[in-house]
Amino acid sequence: MSLVNIQVASFIGSVSLILIGLVAILFIDNLIKKVLGMMFLTDGVNLFLVTLGFRLDVPGGAIVPIFTEAFYKAENASMGVAAREFADKAGFCLPYALVLTNIVIGAATTAVVLGLIIKMYQKHKSLNASEVLGEVIQRG
Amino acid sequence: MTFPFGDIPVYALLIASVAVAILSLLPKDLYKAVIVGGGIEGLSLAVLYQRLLAADVSITQAILASALLPALMFIAVYKTSRWET
Repeated sequence: MSLVNIQVASFIGSVSLILIGLVAILFIDNLIKKVLGMMFLTDGVNLFLVTLGFRLDVPGGAIVPIFTEAFYKAENASMGVAAREFADKAGFCLPYALVLTNIVIGAATTAVVLGLIIKMYQKHKSLNASEVLGEVIQRG
Repeated sequence: MTFPFGDIPVYALLIASVAVAILSLLPKDLYKAVIVGGGIEGLSLAVLYQRLLAADVSITQAILASALLPALMFIAVYKTSRWET
């Protein structure tokens, strides 16, 4: 197994996405770009979790965790043997289920935040967080 | 699922997603930022999820990143202002 494989590369990519998202949220003044940074943060965490479920130790490559009829229709294969073969080969599917939920929740959160930004623009006529917050602070 | 040319396209997509994430924060035109950051970055991640054995996550990410999120952000930019000041 080489030093740089797809799992290590995905870990590095996910950490990069999380850092880019944090920088965008903290240091960019525009509210739409802050939302973009929030999306990058969500994508980075999702990529990290999916990478945790990936398996490199299976000879010939791991398979997508779907139990098809190819497992129990092989010669002299009982259901127990088929289940054991599936468990040996399939990727770890708990992070996949969690990430699926997280993607949908992330999209819904983005929609709510964008609606709040539209209302904020109608009230303050600006997309800059510093101007909006400054106006709020001046009003007391 | 096997990919042609081994894992090289997957590495390329991973680098592309990170590079696109950086590039989307630079332009002053928010439409460009939304297309690049909301659409292309998510689609390259969808192909990457397919290689990482998460087929259901890949399908969901492809639908959301190609249609729903860019549309939402387009509406938000259309209702507010196009240019970053």
